[in-house]
Amino acid sequence: MSAAVPIPVIQLLQVLTVALGSPGLMGVIGWVESRLQGRRGPRVLQPYYDLAKLCRKEALAPSGASWFFLAAPFVAVAAYLTVPLLIPVLTTYGLPLGYMGDILGGGFLLSLASFVVATAALDTGSPYAQLGSSRAKTFSAITEPVVLFVVFTVALLTGTDLPYALAATVRSSAGQVIRPAHLLASAALFMVILHETGRIPVETHTGTNEFGMIEEARSFEHSGPYFALLTWGSMLKQFILFTILADVFLAPWGLASTQRLGDVLLAIVALLAKATAIGVAVAVIDNSFAKLRLFKITEYASAAFLLAVLGVFTLYLGGG
Amino acid sequence: MNAPPGVYQGAANVIAALMLLLEFGMLRQALVRDQVRLYAAQSALISVLAVVIAADRNLPELYALAALSAALKVGAVPYVLRRLLGPPAVEEARGVAGSHTLNPASAVLACIVMAAFGFFSFGSLHIQSAEAPAFALSVAGAMVFVAFVLMIIRRDVASQAIGFFSLENAISLASLVLAAELPLLLETAFLFDLLLAVVVFAMLIRAHHARAESLSTADLSRLRG
Repeated sequence: MSAAVPIPVIQLLQVLTVALGSPGLMGVIGWVESRLQGRRGPRVLQPYYDLAKLCRKEALAPSGASWFFLAAPFVAVAAYLTVPLLIPVLTTYGLPLGYMGDILGGGFLLSLASFVVATAALDTGSPYAQLGSSRAKTFSAITEPVVLFVVFTVALLTGTDLPYALAATVRSSAGQVIRPAHLLASAALFMVILHETGRIPVETHTGTNEFGMIEEARSFEHSGPYFALLTWGSMLKQFILFTILADVFLAPWGLASTQRLGDVLLAIVALLAKATAIGVAVAVIDNSFAKLRLFKITEYASAAFLLAVLGVFTLYLGGG
Repeated sequence: MNAPPGVYQGAANVIAALMLLLEFGMLRQALVRDQVRLYAAQSALISVLAVVIAADRNLPELYALAALSAALKVGAVPYVLRRLLGPPAVEEARGVAGSHTLNPASAVLACIVMAAFGFFSFGSLHIQSAEAPAFALSVAGAMVFVAFVLMIIRRDVASQAIGFFSLENAISLASLVLAAELPLLLETAFLFDLLLAVVVFAMLIRAHHARAESLSTADLSRLRG
C-alpha cells in the first residue's frame, strides 16, 4: 500500500469523496433520526435511490420562467463542487488548486450557489418559492456577520485566512485546542452550520409545512433532474460545511500527510467517520429541541454572534 | 500570530468565558426558575476554577473555599430562591415570567457593547498576577457590566436579585484572579456578605409581594413620602 498517488488524483479524490459521500451522510442522519424516534427508518442508501429516481423523471418548468431557472441548479452544483478544492478534505498539505481562494473565497462560492438558487426561485413567480428565497436571504444577512467574525478569529489565530493554516495550527499543540477563542469560534460556526443546513432549531428539515420553511421552499417549482441537482446541492453543502467544521476547526486529525495510497484511503475513511459523528450530533439536536418560531431566529443568530464576538475579544486581550 | 496560552491558562480562560456566557444566558432566559439554574451553574464553575487554581498553584486553602462556595452558592442560595418563588404556575401569575423591557436579541446586542467596554477597560489596566491569567479579570469586568444590564432591563424583583448575586460571582472571579492567596478568613467574610444580601433580598421580595400582590416592579412608578 505504499504506492504514491499523483497530486492531481488526490485533488480529484477530494471532490469525489464529497460528491459521492454526501447523499450517504444524509442517509445516515435520516436513519439515526428515525431510530431515535423509535422508527425503523429508511435505508442509509435511500438518498442515492431518490436521486436516481428523480433523474429518470420528466422535468417541467413554470410558464414564463427564463433560462436562468434551468441553469441555476447546474451553477449551484458546480459552485459546491469547487469548494472541496479549496479546503483540506483529505490532506494536511496544500494541494496546487487549494490556494486559488482562501476562506472568504470558499464563502463566496457557497453564497453564489445560494444566490442563484434564490434567484431561480424568484423567477418562477410561485409565492412559496419566493417566500423561501426571501427568508433565506434575510436570515443569511443576519448570520453573515457571525461567519465574518469566525474568519477574523481564524485570521488572528494564524495570521492568514487559509483553511490549511488553521488546521495546522490546531494540530500543533493541545494549548491551541483548549484556547477559548478557538472553542468559541467553533461553537459559533456550528450554530451557523445548523442554520445553513436547515436543521432544528431553525428549520424542520423533513417537514412539509410551508409556513416554517426557509431553504426547503426554494426548490418547490423544480422537478425531475433539476430538482435532483438541487437536492444533491443541499447534500453537498451539508457535507462541505461538516468537513470545514471537522477538518479545519474541531478535529483536523486523520488527514493524509503523505501521498501514499494507504494514507489517502485512511483519510477518506476518517473524513466519512468524522462527518458521520457530526451528523449524529445534529440528529440528536434535531430530536431534542423544538423548532424556533420564525421571529425568534434573530435570538438564535444573536447568540451565535455573541460567541463569535467573544472569540475575537479574547484574542485581542491576549487571553485567547 | 498569537501564541497559545498554555493548557492551565487555557482551561482557566475557558471557565471564565463560560461564566460570562452563562451571564448572557441569564439575561435572555424568560423564566426566573431557569435563571436560578444558570446562576447555580455559574457558581459551580467558579468553584471549579478555584479547584483548578488550587491544584496548579498549590494553594490548599482554595479547596476549602471552593467547597464552602459550592455549598452556599450552588446549594443554599438557589434553594432559598426556589422556595421564595413557589411552583412554576405561581411564577406566571406573579408577573415574573418574561419581564423583559427589551427583546432578547436587542438585549444581547446591547450587552455585547457593554461587555466590550468592560473587557477593554479592565484589559487596559494591565493588572498581572501570578495566580491566574489577566484575561479572566477582563471577563470579570465584562460580567459586572452584563449583570448591571440584567438588573436594569428586568422588571421583577426576583430577576434583579439574581442579577445582584451573579454580580457577586463576577467579583469572586476577579478576587480569585487578583488575590488567590487572600487569607481564607477574608474570603469567607465575602461569602457571608452574599448571605446577608440573600436575606435582604428575600425580605424585599416578600415585602413587595405582600404589598403589590406581584413581584413585578412595573407598577412602582410613584415616589411617596
